[in-house]
Amino acid sequence: MPRDADSLSRFLWPVLIGLLLLAQFAGSPGDWFIAWPTEWVLPFTSSLNTAMDWFVETAGWFFRGLSDILAVPVSAVQKFLHWLPWPVVVAVTAVLSWAASGWRLALFSTLALLYMVVVGYWPESMNSLSLVIISVPLAIAIGFAFGVWGFRSERAAGVIQPMLDMLQTIPAFAYLLPILLLFGFGPVVGLIASLLYAFPPMVRNTMLGLRSVPTDIVESGLMSGATPRQLFWQVRIPAASRQLLLGANQSTMAAVSMVIIASIIGGTADIGWEVLSRIRKAQFGESILAGIVIALLAMVIDRITYGFAGREADDGERSASPWSRHRYLWIGLVAALVTFLLSTVIPALREWPREWEIYPAEAMNSWLEGFILTWSEFIGTLKTIAFYYLMLPVRVGLVDTITPFSWGFEFTPAMRWGYGAAVLALSAWTWWRGRFHLAMTIMFLGILLYFGLTKLSWLVLVLMAGALGYQLGGRRLAVGTLAALGFLVLAGIWPQAMLSVYLCGIAVLISFLVGGCIGVIASEVGVVSRVVRPVNDTLQTMPLFVILIPFVMIFKIGEFSALLAIVAYAIVPAIRYTEHGLRNLPNDVIEAATCMGCTRWQLLTQVKLPLAMPVIMLGLNQTIMYAIAMLVIAALVGTNGLGQQVYIGLGDGDFGIGIVAGIGMAIIAMVADRFTQGWSAARQAAYS
Amino acid sequence: MMKLKHLLLGAAASAIACSNAFAANGSDDPIKIAINEWTGQHISAHIAGQLLQKAGFNVEYVTAGAVPQFAAIAQGNLHFQPEVWDNNVGDIYPKAVESGEIVKVGSLGLEPREGWMYPAYMAEQCPGLPAWTALVECVQVFAAPDTFPKGRLITYPADWGTRSKDLVEASGLPLQPIAGGSEGAMIAELKAAYAAKQPALMMFWAPHWLHAELEMAWVDMPPADPNCATDPAPGFYPDKVNDCGFEQASIGKIVWKDFGEKWPGALKLIEGLTIDNDTQNALMLEVDNNKRDLEEVITEWVNANEATWQPWVAAAQ
Repeated sequence: MPRDADSLSRFLWPVLIGLLLLAQFAGSPGDWFIAWPTEWVLPFTSSLNTAMDWFVETAGWFFRGLSDILAVPVSAVQKFLHWLPWPVVVAVTAVLSWAASGWRLALFSTLALLYMVVVGYWPESMNSLSLVIISVPLAIAIGFAFGVWGFRSERAAGVIQPMLDMLQTIPAFAYLLPILLLFGFGPVVGLIASLLYAFPPMVRNTMLGLRSVPTDIVESGLMSGATPRQLFWQVRIPAASRQLLLGANQSTMAAVSMVIIASIIGGTADIGWEVLSRIRKAQFGESILAGIVIALLAMVIDRITYGFAGREADDGERSASPWSRHRYLWIGLVAALVTFLLSTVIPALREWPREWEIYPAEAMNSWLEGFILTWSEFIGTLKTIAFYYLMLPVRVGLVDTITPFSWGFEFTPAMRWGYGAAVLALSAWTWWRGRFHLAMTIMFLGILLYFGLTKLSWLVLVLMAGALGYQLGGRRLAVGTLAALGFLVLAGIWPQAMLSVYLCGIAVLISFLVGGCIGVIASEVGVVSRVVRPVNDTLQTMPLFVILIPFVMIFKIGEFSALLAIVAYAIVPAIRYTEHGLRNLPNDVIEAATCMGCTRWQLLTQVKLPLAMPVIMLGLNQTIMYAIAMLVIAALVGTNGLGQQVYIGLGDGDFGIGIVAGIGMAIIAMVADRFTQGWSAARQAAYS
Repeated sequence: MMKLKHLLLGAAASAIACSNAFAANGSDDPIKIAINEWTGQHISAHIAGQLLQKAGFNVEYVTAGAVPQFAAIAQGNLHFQPEVWDNNVGDIYPKAVESGEIVKVGSLGLEPREGWMYPAYMAEQCPGLPAWTALVECVQVFAAPDTFPKGRLITYPADWGTRSKDLVEASGLPLQPIAGGSEGAMIAELKAAYAAKQPALMMFWAPHWLHAELEMAWVDMPPADPNCATDPAPGFYPDKVNDCGFEQASIGKIVWKDFGEKWPGALKLIEGLTIDNDTQNALMLEVDNNKRDLEEVITEWVNANEATWQPWVAAAQ
C-alpha cells in the first residue's frame, strides 16, 4: 500500500469510528441520521408501478403476441414427450450419455430416469423437460449474440456487464410478476424467466472465450488470407470452443434451476409445481421425493452437456466411414425403435402402472417425526443458545439482549463501562502491535455488538462503506458504493436491508468457518473428500425450497431456521473452493517444503493455506453470493428482511415493492462482490 | 427486421384465429379451470369439472398460483375458478372485478372460519380455553425463548396481510406475533408441535385438510363489529378500539368476462353449483388421509349424489 493512502486511512478510520460513537450516544431512534424519516422516502415504488402500468398498456400487445408464438413450440414439445413411451426417452438418453462420456454415465442416466418412472413423477418430469428443451437453445443463442457484440464493441461490453450482474443477482421472484403482467399467464412465463436467468453465463463465457484466443492463431488466419467473416467463424470460434461449450453447460444448469422457481406462477403441471404443492402441505417425504427428481434431472443434463463439452474440444481427428462417424446416431435410432415397438406390446412400457409405484414418503415422514420427538429438548437448547448469544446481540445489541431472563443477569452500568474498556484495551493493544486495520475492526465490532446492527446510524455506515470501497477499489468503487447504498436509504428499505445483512452476515460467517474447516480436512483426507462431494452435489441441485421443510419441523418458524437453511446452501462453495485451492497447488513448492523438513501441520498452515488464499477468497465471494441468493427462499420460513418484501410484492401483485426490494438485494450482493474481489486483489498484490 | 415482421404477423394471425373460434360453436373449446395448491380447491374444481363434462362441455385443468390466476382469468387464459377466498388476494383481483374483466358468480356455499387456533391437548395445560381470557392467564404456557415474556402467536405470512398483528397491538394482549412465512412452514411447525405435544397458537383457517388430520380448537374471540374502529365497547376490552375478532371471508366462484357469451349453459350450471363444508371435509379426508386418488374420490361422490347435482346440470341444457 502506498504511504499516503496508508496515512489517509490512519486518519480516516479513527474519525469514522468516533463519528459512529457520537451518533449512537447523542442520537435517539427518531433522529434523521439513525433512521431515515418516512416522509423523506422517495416514491420509487409508486412511480415504478405507474410506469409499468403504462408500459403494459402501450406495449403489452407485442409481448402477448410473442407469448402466443413461443407457446406453440413449448406445447408441441410437451405433447411429443407425453406421446413418447417412457422407455424410448430412457433409451435415447442412455445412448446420449454413452456418446457424451461412456457407459458409467449411461448407467447413471438410466437409473435416474427409472427413478422418475418408478416414483410416479414421469409426466411432471417431462413437462419440466420440455420447458428446458425450448429455453436452453434460445438462451444459448441470445447469450452468444450478446457475447459477440460485447467482444466486438468495448462500449457495448460496458453496458452488458452491469446488466448481467443485475440479472444474476436480482432474485427471480422479483421479476416473475412483471413477466406475468407483460407476457400473460402460461408456461411462457417460466420460459422467459428461465431465459433471463440462463443467458448471462453464456454471454460471460463467449466474451471470455473470444478474448482469450491467442493472437498467433488469429494472425496465422490473417496470413492465410481469411476474410473477416472466415476469420470469425473458422478461426476465432473454433479456438474458443471449449469456453463456449462451458458457457452452454452453465446456461443449461441455470435454465433447469429457474424452471423450478418459475413454476410458482403455474400453467404447467411440472415437477416444480409438485414440489411447491408438497411444501405448502409440509409433506416432508413427498417433497424430498419430488425434489430428488429435479436434482437427478439437473445432474443428468449437466453431465451430458459437460461430457460433450469436453469431448468436442478433444476430438481432433474425424474418422472417415459413415458408420463410425454416426455410430451413436444409428445406435440411438435402433434403440428408440426397438423400445417403441416393445412398448406397443407391453402396456407397462407404455404407462407405468400405479400399483407398481414405489413411494416411501410415509416412512420418511414418520422417521422425521421420531427424530423430532427424540431430540426436541437438545434442539431447543441449541436454538436458545444461538439466539441469545449470537443472533440477538448482532441484531439488537447487547444493550437489549442482556436481561435476567436471557443471560441470567442485569446489564448494569458497571458492566457497560467494563465492556467499553475491554474493547478499547483490546483495540489499543492490537494497534500497538502494528495491526492497525485489525484494531479498527475490533472497535467497530465492539460498537456493533453493543448497539446492534439494526440500530446503527445509516449515515455513518454508508460513509464507512464508502471509505472501505475507496481503500479496496479506488475512487470508482467508493462512488459506486455510496450511490448504491444511497439508493437503499432513499427508497426507504434500509431497515429491511440491514435485517438481510444481519442474517446473511452470520450465515456467511458460519458457512465460511465451518465450510473452510471441512474443505481443509477434505483436502488432506481422501475418504472425507469422497463423502463430502455427493452431499455437496445434492445440496446444490436440490430445489432450495425442499431444504426448508425439515428445518422448520425441527427448529420452528423464525430466523434460526432461516439461518440454518442459508448455511446449508452457502456452505457448499466454501467447502469446494477451499478443497480445490489446497489440492491444486504447484507440486514443486510442496516438494521443496517437504524436503526442508516441514511437518504436515507446518506444511498446511505455512505453505499450503497462504498459497491457496486467492482461491479460498473466491470461495468466500461465492459463499456471500449464495447466501444472498438463498435469502428470498429463506423468507418462506419467516424472516423480515428484503426477502419478505419480495414476497409481499408477489403476493399483492405489487410490481414496485418487489422490484425495489430485488434491486436492494442485488446492490448488497454487488457491493459485497466488489469488496471481496478488491480485498483479494490487494492481498495477492501484498504477497507477490 | 424480417424476423420482427414475422412475429407481428404471427401475433395478428393468432388473434384472428381466436376470434373465429369465438364466433363459431364455442362450446367445444375446453373450459380451463384453475387448480391452486390446496386440496379443498382441487375438490371444488374437480366436482365442477366433472359436472360440466356431464353437461357436455370440454374441460381442462390448469395449475395456477393464487395471484397469477387472476391475471390469467382477466386475460382469458383461464376461464373459471370455483373457490376464491376474498381475503388475501392482493390488488389484482379487486381491480379486475371493478373493471369487469373478472365476473363474480355468487358464493360457493362454503363457510370459512378464520381465527386463532390451538391443538386440542392444550386444554389440559390451560383449562381456561377456549375463552380468550385464557390467553392472558396462561401466557407462560404459550411463551417461547424468542418471545418471552409474551406468548408466541404464529400469524399469517406478511404477504397475506397483518390482521393478527394489528389486533394484538390494538388490544394489548400479551402475545408476540411471528409471521409464519408460508403455509408450508406454518403446517410444518404445527405438525412438529403436535407430534411432541408442545404448546402452539396460530392464526389459521377452515375448511382446511389439516383439521381432518390434527385435532384443533378455536379461541373464542369477540365477534367482528362494524363500529369497532370508533366504538370502544365491542371487542376484547371495553376501553379499546379496533380490538374485535376477525371479519370472516366469503368464498366465491369467478369466471372470465366473456364466459357467459361463450358457454351460456355452463354459466347456468356454475350459478347453481354449491358445496358445503361437510362435503369438502369428507372428501379431503379421503384424499389427504386415506391417500386416495382425487379423480376417483370425486367420481364416487358424483355417482352417489345425483339428486344434489341433477338440477344444476339440467339448468345447463
